[in-house]
Amino acid sequence: MKERGWGSGVGGRGLMYLLAALAVVAALLPVYWLLTISLKTDLDQLSVPPKWFVFGPTLTHYHNAFVERSFGQYLITSAIVAVLSTICALVLGTLAAYALARFRLPHRLNTRLALWILSTRMFPPIVAAVPLFLLMSDLRLLDTTAALVITYTAFNLPFVVWMMRGFFKEIPRDLEEAALVDGDSRLGALRRVILPLVAPGLAATSVFCLIISWNEFLFALTLTQTDAAMTLPVGINGLVTQYKIEWGMMSAAGVVAMTPILVFALAVQRYLVRGLSLGAVKG
Amino acid sequence: MNVSFRNVTKSFGPSVVVDDLTLSTEDGEFVVLLGPSGCGKTTTLRMLAGLEEVSSGDILIGEQRVNDIPAQRRDIAMVFQSYALYPHMTIAENIGYPLRVRKLGREEIERRVREVATMLEINKLLTRRPRELSGGERQRVALARAVVRSPRVYLMDEPLSNLDAKLRVQMRGELKRLQHELGTTTVYVTHDQSEAMTLAHRVAVMKAGRLQQFDTPLNIYNRPANRFVAEFVGSPSMNFLEGLVDAGARAFTSAEVAVPLSDSQLDVLQGQERVTLGIRPEHVRISTVVREGLLPATVYVTELMGNETFVFLRLSGGEKIIARASADFRADLETPVWVYFEMDKANFFDATSGNIIASERGSG
Repeated sequence: MKERGWGSGVGGRGLMYLLAALAVVAALLPVYWLLTISLKTDLDQLSVPPKWFVFGPTLTHYHNAFVERSFGQYLITSAIVAVLSTICALVLGTLAAYALARFRLPHRLNTRLALWILSTRMFPPIVAAVPLFLLMSDLRLLDTTAALVITYTAFNLPFVVWMMRGFFKEIPRDLEEAALVDGDSRLGALRRVILPLVAPGLAATSVFCLIISWNEFLFALTLTQTDAAMTLPVGINGLVTQYKIEWGMMSAAGVVAMTPILVFALAVQRYLVRGLSLGAVKG
Repeated sequence: MNVSFRNVTKSFGPSVVVDDLTLSTEDGEFVVLLGPSGCGKTTTLRMLAGLEEVSSGDILIGEQRVNDIPAQRRDIAMVFQSYALYPHMTIAENIGYPLRVRKLGREEIERRVREVATMLEINKLLTRRPRELSGGERQRVALARAVVRSPRVYLMDEPLSNLDAKLRVQMRGELKRLQHELGTTTVYVTHDQSEAMTLAHRVAVMKAGRLQQFDTPLNIYNRPANRFVAEFVGSPSMNFLEGLVDAGARAFTSAEVAVPLSDSQLDVLQGQERVTLGIRPEHVRISTVVREGLLPATVYVTELMGNETFVFLRLSGGEKIIARASADFRADLETPVWVYFEMDKANFFDATSGNIIASERGSG
């Protein structure tokens, strides 16, 4: 009992809480600032010294962004693109990962294919921007949500394949062999036995995909031009104009953009933790 | 339904795991594949299950060639060493799974699950999940999942090896009883020779991918086809003495040991020179008084097993042999004793090939 670790005793515990509080403040301060700006009048936003807590709140910016301007439309586009691309990447990536994790291919093709897939994540996305633009232009998909769904699916795939491959490898082979011998088909065994067991992994992977797609800016900027296919990040960027920066509307849109992901992440938090630590402890 | 392997070979790249296996079971027979790890017995079972492809040769279930039939359509049930219970399902769901994928009605499934659960005495566990069960209970669930339907063949891959010794013996008995009642052909893989001897109608002993002998437990024990089988089956292992056949002296001689041979043994050994004498520990008798024909030996060490004693002896030539003596046998280390071989129970093996040397009649 002589040894005292961090966090034992009143002083230690106090210090721990202090550090934790600092971390929380550092993480949440920008969010708080964003939220207050979105509720402040143009005048209050720029007042010196800044009005931290006391100001007359207003919903003007929200009204301007979502009623006067098309941010409602951007929100819907963002949601469609993020959800569709996540679903596509999950379906394709999970099947690919299952195959790579389970089937023995000649010449160590499993590992080679997997590394090859991973390598597509290594180059900076900007490299792909121009070729993608030309490709989508040829396919007459410029300025469509389809272009974004396809692009995000492609860019999320390697991530899904690698995450899910790891999760599949954790599942004992015996289980699906038992399912096969019990009379189930490969896909049946995958659906009834394997997928329920990797559900936490699927949840974790889908959160990441969703966040990446939701926040993606570069391709959305390159591949879309009009309200028809513009996503929230591109829309927000459009508020920086030659003459003026619409801080209020930007913040309002930012707050709205943040909310769904926050809610979703909280909803699957339990799975998220389990998914990320899956494999650390054999269940 | 009977199972046949016809010249079945399985290789992974350059290594041949199962080499030209030919073996046929009778309908309703309990066949045990026995061998040390890496002998190809599990691969053989997995090929029969459809979990491993056959490199060459044919596997038949009944009259049907199943080489190209996927596992799910072979109509077999398998018990895995790890039990392979589905962790996210309840015990009832686990047992009912083979019925569910066959799209049986909910009531029919429930009825049959309850029936099997009662038979295996696990009906109180039906609502639990595998992780809440003990090893023995999991074992029963795995069995229940196999017997819940009536497949053509049961396959068992070392199903008892994860149980503790006492439970293993108990389950072994129940398994034998169960197979008897169901009357379904069963192929069972184990490296435990006592399981093979107690369970099997016939035992297939394998080594390095090759079938060594396929016979009844009694014949495997008493008439092993070669030195490997003789050594692998039986505990403690058979004693071997290298030596020569001296036809003139009508005896087997090894270093300083000379054992007289009977007429029939001389017949069988005719033309042989260098041979290996194999004698089981229970056929080595120990005497503390000297009599004619007895071999001098010293006690190396003794192991009291409770109901019997294993006596490790050193013959005058330095060879070590083991004898089985009664539980009340007592001797200090290095005590001189005399031993006697029950030669009518002895086997002779070719010194180079290791194959048994037997007359046509005796080889059966």
